[in-house]
Amino acid sequence: MKVNTRGRFSFTGGVHPPEEKDLTSNSEIQPGPEVKEVAVMLSQHIGAVCRPLVRKGYMVLAGQKIGGSDAYVSAPVHSPIHGKVKEIELRSHPVLGRSPAIVIEAYRYHPTKYQGFELMEDFDEGKYSPEQICDAVRKAGIVGMGGAGFPTRVKIEPDPRMPKEIMIINGCECEPYITCDYRIMLERTSQIIAGIKLARKASGCSKVLIGIEDNKPEAIKAMNEALAAHAKDSSIKVVPVKTKYPQGGERQLIKAILKRNVPTGGIPPAIGVVVLNVASVAAIADAVINGTPLTHRVVTVTGEAIANPGNFDVAIGTSVRELIEFCGGVTRKSAKVVVGGPMMGIAIADLDTPVTKTTNAVTILTGEEIGKAKFARRQTPCIHCGRCLRVCPENLNPTKIAHAVKNNLLDVAESYYISACIECGCCSFVCPANIEVTGYIKTGKNLLARQKKKIPS
Amino acid sequence: MLSDIRVSCAPHISQRLSTRVVMIDVIIGLVPAMAAAGYYFRFYALILISACVISAVATEWLCNLIRKQPNSLSDFSAVVTGIILALSLPPALPFWAAVIGSCFAVAIGKMVFGGLGANIFNPAMVGRAFLTASFGMLMTTWTVPATVDVTMPKISPENKVDARTQATPLAWSKMALKDKNGAKLYNEQQFRATFTGAVGGCLGETSVIALLIGALYLFIRRTITFHIPLAVILSAFVFAAIAYLINSNAYVQPIFHLTSGGMLLGAFFIATDPVTAPLTRRGMWLFGIGVGTITMLIRIVGEYPEGMMFSVLLMNGMTPLIDRLCRRIPAGGKPGV
Repeated sequence: MKVNTRGRFSFTGGVHPPEEKDLTSNSEIQPGPEVKEVAVMLSQHIGAVCRPLVRKGYMVLAGQKIGGSDAYVSAPVHSPIHGKVKEIELRSHPVLGRSPAIVIEAYRYHPTKYQGFELMEDFDEGKYSPEQICDAVRKAGIVGMGGAGFPTRVKIEPDPRMPKEIMIINGCECEPYITCDYRIMLERTSQIIAGIKLARKASGCSKVLIGIEDNKPEAIKAMNEALAAHAKDSSIKVVPVKTKYPQGGERQLIKAILKRNVPTGGIPPAIGVVVLNVASVAAIADAVINGTPLTHRVVTVTGEAIANPGNFDVAIGTSVRELIEFCGGVTRKSAKVVVGGPMMGIAIADLDTPVTKTTNAVTILTGEEIGKAKFARRQTPCIHCGRCLRVCPENLNPTKIAHAVKNNLLDVAESYYISACIECGCCSFVCPANIEVTGYIKTGKNLLARQKKKIPS
Repeated sequence: MLSDIRVSCAPHISQRLSTRVVMIDVIIGLVPAMAAAGYYFRFYALILISACVISAVATEWLCNLIRKQPNSLSDFSAVVTGIILALSLPPALPFWAAVIGSCFAVAIGKMVFGGLGANIFNPAMVGRAFLTASFGMLMTTWTVPATVDVTMPKISPENKVDARTQATPLAWSKMALKDKNGAKLYNEQQFRATFTGAVGGCLGETSVIALLIGALYLFIRRTITFHIPLAVILSAFVFAAIAYLINSNAYVQPIFHLTSGGMLLGAFFIATDPVTAPLTRRGMWLFGIGVGTITMLIRIVGEYPEGMMFSVLLMNGMTPLIDRLCRRIPAGGKPGV
């Protein structure tokens, strides 16, 4: 079958960081470390923090719900292993800082390892009603696994105020180094197709477009073949898009595929679109068909310094330290341990930070890899060269916002639409003066959020 | 191996690009113009360029010392200022005047504002304006290039034929305006002379070819975008064309205005100075149109034969306003609308 793998569509702005995906792109998804202890964070998603449903000393089973919330925008958490609740204490969260986690000591390692997933010829999503699907997704605690962690059930559930028409499946993986979504697309293709069908059924979308960057021709081919085998209708289509960072940002992907802009401050359903990550879609299939909760996810452990980089099916709650040791440790002096990729990931100081539902990679960067970059270099004054404006995918004025925040002029920052920033990092990436433009903007957003909390409107 | 890990905000990698690289690119872009200056004006060029660069660098070093700031010479911006100032000076200017101008450019044009990135006006043009105000006579005496064509009109301060000094092409056009013989003045030979640079004028502005080669390099390196140069050249051309169409006897052909004087040096290397130009694309258009129009206003309506310097300085002053006026609208539209 001849498939076009060249992407024609893209958005304006963006950058081309070195991809560095060769480190792990050929490594099959392998089972992760047999952990002795996991720390399941009670907040792994956008929305209300879960209440612990167990206490210290409780025995829990793999797949048992151990945290939940009655709030609509939330997702329960489950234990990935059989074990005993050792403690409920604060652990380092990559984004939230110290936050509560349920620490479970493995009773006997019994992983709910990935058992393989065969999509039957006679698979029929008609067996499931939309309510059933949404319910299964909610119970399984599925969240957007691409990074943001928005509860998937809230995304796919039909909303009479914002009817959804088009579903976009995000297989871009534009972030350098990371290959977990790529491997999922290659190895769990039929599972993704089943998930797409189920999600489409639940959300009532009529059209499904799978956006994949054209640096992954194998994935584009695999998805097309699977579609030909399992989905005879033409309403599901693979759309190759240009390789450019941040193509995988949902606003950028919608812009590239549909040529439409999501309103600033709005969400994709405002224009009838729902965007789901391929890993989330695969999890939907597993949850609905097998009733499996989201307790494991594929994590790319990568970087020049890692002895054996690869993609692993890791129990959520496994510590970063354990993952690094599992991969043979580091062979070279490392400068940064990043949860996520080098463009948007978060550098952590505490190696006991656990893997969460949104951890797609652990990237160990050596000084050399960073040395291509600022790090060692001094920050110099902004010369207004305008590079950050040219690469900004949201058409903002990053330098103005950053300098407004630097000078504590938050109202000025707001007048340059600070809230529209997606924090992709392109501006910092290109800045010749080494200014942490994105860093300042993030700071400004935090300060504004704090201001608004204190003064209720 | 993991004992000395550090944290900082994302992104953790970045492009291998620094302010120094940007400035070195500008210097490389100016090399053809410097070479042309060296070819046509020989030792004058060498003396002026080295005097300006050395004094600019020395001034920056001294200012940093006085301000107790870390040394900022490594960003090469003082070198760029020195070169651009030198290229915009008349070749026969005594080197001490160039030194004064260069010191003024860096000290008052840049360092008093807080150094690179903080200045409002283009430092080189500040220095040149200072020299124009202080040494008016020296700044308008034009040496004949070493390779000059004898048929070019020449004037000396006493207004008689003289082999040492020569009118600039723009001075011809000013004279033409008085004598109402612009059409006659402009012939192919003179046009070719403005193109190669074998005419009187400032060091770096005479050779159109050299400037275009340098500009091409800057475009390829993406050091400058096309917006400002195009806006300057287009608006100047339109203005000159209107004047030419109204009275083709008095005014020279519009293309002549583009190839002579500081038009191209200004459009490609001076108006595009990122520090003093607007950030947004619409702002760049507005800025460029302002520069081009004011230049032509001065050239055609005003007393001076040349107007690039004043128009750039004027529009530099407008830059903060333009930036405020021409804000970018987010891709998703204004929030809440």
